[in-house]
Amino acid sequence: MAAPDQGDLAPLPYAEIGELFVVLSKALRAHQLYDENNPVYQRFVSQLAEALRGLWQDMDRFHVHVEEDRFLWMGEQVYRSTSRTDSLAFLLYKDGIRDFTFHPGLEEHELTDLLLVLNKARDLRPEGDDLLTVLWEKDLQYFTYSYIDLLAEGIHLPSAGEGYGGGFQDIIQAELQADPEDLAAAKQGVEGEQGETREASVVSAEDFNPTLYSLDPLEMQRIQSEVELEMRRDLRGDVLAALFDRVEEPRFPQRQQEILEVFRALLPNLLSRGSLRAAGSIIEEIARLRASENALAPEQRALAEEILDQLSGSGSMGELINALEDGTISPDPVELAALLRHLRAGALKPLLRGAEGVEDRKIKAVIQDAVKSIGSKYFEAIIDCMGSEDPVVVVGACSLAGKIQLAEAAPLVADLVYHEVPSVRLAAVEAALDLKASTAATALQEALTDPDRAVRIAAARALGALRYRPAAQAFKEVMERKAIRAADISEQIAFFESYGLVQDPEGVRFLDGFLNGRGFLGRKETGEIRACAALGLGKIGTPEAMAALEKARGGEDPVVRSAVNRALRGEG
Amino acid sequence: MTARASQPPKDSARLQDVGRKVLSAFYAALRSLKLYPLENSAVQRALDDLHRLLYELVEQEGGMELRIVGDFFFLNETRLRLDLSNYSTFGSFARALSDHGLGAVEVLPGIDRAEWAPFLSLLLREPGGVDPYEAFMVAMGGAPILHIQVVPTKEVKEPELEEEALHAAKRTYAQSVRVAQEALTDVRMGRAVNVRKVKRAVQGIVDQVLANEPSMITMTTLRDYDEYTFTHCVNVSIFSVIIGQRLGLDRVQLYELGLGALFHDLGKSRIDVGIINKPASLDEAEWFELQQHPIEGMLALFHLHGFSEVPYRQMLMAYEHHMRIDLAGYPKNRRRRSPTLFSRIVAVADAFDAGTSIRSYQYQPSPPDVVLEEMRDNPSRGMDPVLVKALINATGVYPVGTLAILDTLEMAVVTGVQRDLDKLHQPVVKVISDSMGVPMAEPLTLDLSERDPDSGLPIRTIIKTVEAERYGVQVSDYLL
Repeated sequence: MAAPDQGDLAPLPYAEIGELFVVLSKALRAHQLYDENNPVYQRFVSQLAEALRGLWQDMDRFHVHVEEDRFLWMGEQVYRSTSRTDSLAFLLYKDGIRDFTFHPGLEEHELTDLLLVLNKARDLRPEGDDLLTVLWEKDLQYFTYSYIDLLAEGIHLPSAGEGYGGGFQDIIQAELQADPEDLAAAKQGVEGEQGETREASVVSAEDFNPTLYSLDPLEMQRIQSEVELEMRRDLRGDVLAALFDRVEEPRFPQRQQEILEVFRALLPNLLSRGSLRAAGSIIEEIARLRASENALAPEQRALAEEILDQLSGSGSMGELINALEDGTISPDPVELAALLRHLRAGALKPLLRGAEGVEDRKIKAVIQDAVKSIGSKYFEAIIDCMGSEDPVVVVGACSLAGKIQLAEAAPLVADLVYHEVPSVRLAAVEAALDLKASTAATALQEALTDPDRAVRIAAARALGALRYRPAAQAFKEVMERKAIRAADISEQIAFFESYGLVQDPEGVRFLDGFLNGRGFLGRKETGEIRACAALGLGKIGTPEAMAALEKARGGEDPVVRSAVNRALRGEG
Repeated sequence: MTARASQPPKDSARLQDVGRKVLSAFYAALRSLKLYPLENSAVQRALDDLHRLLYELVEQEGGMELRIVGDFFFLNETRLRLDLSNYSTFGSFARALSDHGLGAVEVLPGIDRAEWAPFLSLLLREPGGVDPYEAFMVAMGGAPILHIQVVPTKEVKEPELEEEALHAAKRTYAQSVRVAQEALTDVRMGRAVNVRKVKRAVQGIVDQVLANEPSMITMTTLRDYDEYTFTHCVNVSIFSVIIGQRLGLDRVQLYELGLGALFHDLGKSRIDVGIINKPASLDEAEWFELQQHPIEGMLALFHLHGFSEVPYRQMLMAYEHHMRIDLAGYPKNRRRRSPTLFSRIVAVADAFDAGTSIRSYQYQPSPPDVVLEEMRDNPSRGMDPVLVKALINATGVYPVGTLAILDTLEMAVVTGVQRDLDKLHQPVVKVISDSMGVPMAEPLTLDLSERDPDSGLPIRTIIKTVEAERYGVQVSDYLL
């Protein structure tokens, strides 16, 4: 059907065409704000598609002229925007587009592609692509356009010269004198021209072998495979291999410097994308160079050190850990381990976070190994982390200090038993046990009355495991209070057993009082407390303790009976 | 104003697809008829398929015309692209037609299945005598064929270098050379490179090669247009894209290739300009420094901003283009590597353009055909032979711009390449002097594959190619 501008059809109302651009603007905005599954976005796109379908009933293409702030159709304005920031017209105009055409099928095949391109064009950096390069790459078939190439202004076009000024006879003579065979061929040709039958020239079709110039099927097959291979190739790996080869040349220190800077720039990019193998290979190479005596001059060696330190910093590692925690990247554990192997003290803090925050067990294990490895090499980093404001880091540091038996951490552990965060106090208590730190003992005793149950239990167990007799009084004070009776059975057991372990000389008498004694108004203790006392006596294990247990054997309360029997057997 | 395609795209895409099927069906039918008797079931099936396809097409379109023009088939005005996946099929069918002097086949509504076998059988016969088209028409007259018509090759216009195409090529070329100049100069001066301009220039090269390859080849013959360094980058880009097209790379792949080719010598911007432009041979130290340019090129690309992704592919092209396929080139590497396909393409394009250009140390470059022969036949050049073949496919044995002496002692400039592989050595030329060496006021265009009707011999033959620059002949004067 002919377009309206050919005069044989009534034109569409301009208002409807204008409405099309209103809908287009809305669809663009929706594309910017929402993802493609969002119903708001889908509604706007449907409206736009519907508007386009409406056009094709009356025209076979929709051609629009672009001016700086408006669109014209058939000479009339159908869109205008005064704000350059939002203006669709300016978006096209500024990059040189002067008209465009929508073709039937755009709404079916390429509408979202077009929206993507137009939105992308809004966000392009000045030094990067422009709308024309993006449109070219997208190669839309249903949206065509013409443009003025603003970048090509002022160029001087090549033109034909006058041609060779002299005659060619001398050239021909010189050439043929140099080659008698060619002269003979020429004579044959000339004689032929003079009416005699020409024989076949020296260069004949029979001499020409087209197989030398045509690709045979095997060659074509090979090329096809090569094209596929080319597109799948690990280009980055190839470039890195080239850089590694070149950075190993000490005779080019400036180049080494440049390559190291390239590595420094690449690493965050690779880490953020989860390209850990590539990042690991770079770090491996830098570490190798650094370790090699003659590979780097002092200046380049200092740069290598700087890069490794920077990589280990909370910035790079923090980003990596964040990405691991929120699942943005899911690396291969082996690749992650290779990357973390070269990290330094500065990485401890973010890795301690990661060890806690990452959910994937395999990844967690890798990080924990890395934490241990770094901690073993950089003790001061552990101490530093124990002073962190981040409780998660402190907890991890405490735990690490205990695991590697970092005696220097003991005073800090003692202080951390008083930390405001329960999880830190708990970690400190556990570390104190690992370190067998008597310097923490006083703090542990105070922790017996910690507001946090887990801390109390851990403190009790720790003191018991340390067999710390001076804590007996503290235990007794707690056990005589009402609070212990209100505690759950685990806590009760922890206190009574641990009291038993500290070997208070008064221990048998004290515990016998709970097991066999009678309290206010001649009442016995509750069954749970009596049972816990029995377990405590079991931990004391002396003949006197056994005698006290025998007295309670055969009692009516089955809980007490069971605990007594366990204690007598030495179980628990 | 630069225009983009205005043909209804849906039809174009559909006809592309149908066109490929039509050619495949023709090829299959011809092949089966060649191998088996008519009554064989494979032949019958092939004829059924061909008829069904064409009958439907004719019904939908009101007719069908399949035309060969230069490098392309056209199906009802839609150009079908030749690429690696259909090279053999199309080429065979094209040869079957051109052997009989046929440039187009038309199928009319009402075509009957029974007409195909006699028509195809005629195509399989040996071409007749002096005028194959005439002989074919005579034979066709005696066959039961009513709804198939043919058009002779000479009535199907070979796309010459139209004014518009040539103008577009000039613009693209000029823009690209300026962009190359700016980019290389910016790198030398330590300034930021306008990557957007470079991208647009390469996109322009790709578009122009796809639209009209001969026009871009013509541009590469310009010798005095601008400094060699800049024209060389553009020429290598053009030749690389041309080779890539022959190999079936798609548009975006051609762009990636062209971009890397344009940047392949970026590293020279970091080399002492005295070495680059030294007229005499380089001493050992100078040669060693020059050999650093691939490495410097790769590093320079890291500092270009404006790429959405790190341009690894282009870096490899800069790094590997002198490596040679046997790795005997430079730079040497400790770690195992194998130059990428794109790097090898650039190597071929680079060697060809460098070999045929005047440089500071090479005032008399070899003629293009000699350079091609050397690249193809001398393994120590380290060129991928298949890629050299692909280049020769595009440029012909005597590339556009070759200055040649004919057996009539006339001087000629090659202006066009034959598409028929059997005739690559018989290009289209512009005769610029008579047999006495007197320049012709109106150069005469001749197709050297044409034969004298009386003798049956080629009307002219090239007996020698000439180093144009040696005598100060600017071949581009006769091409633009």
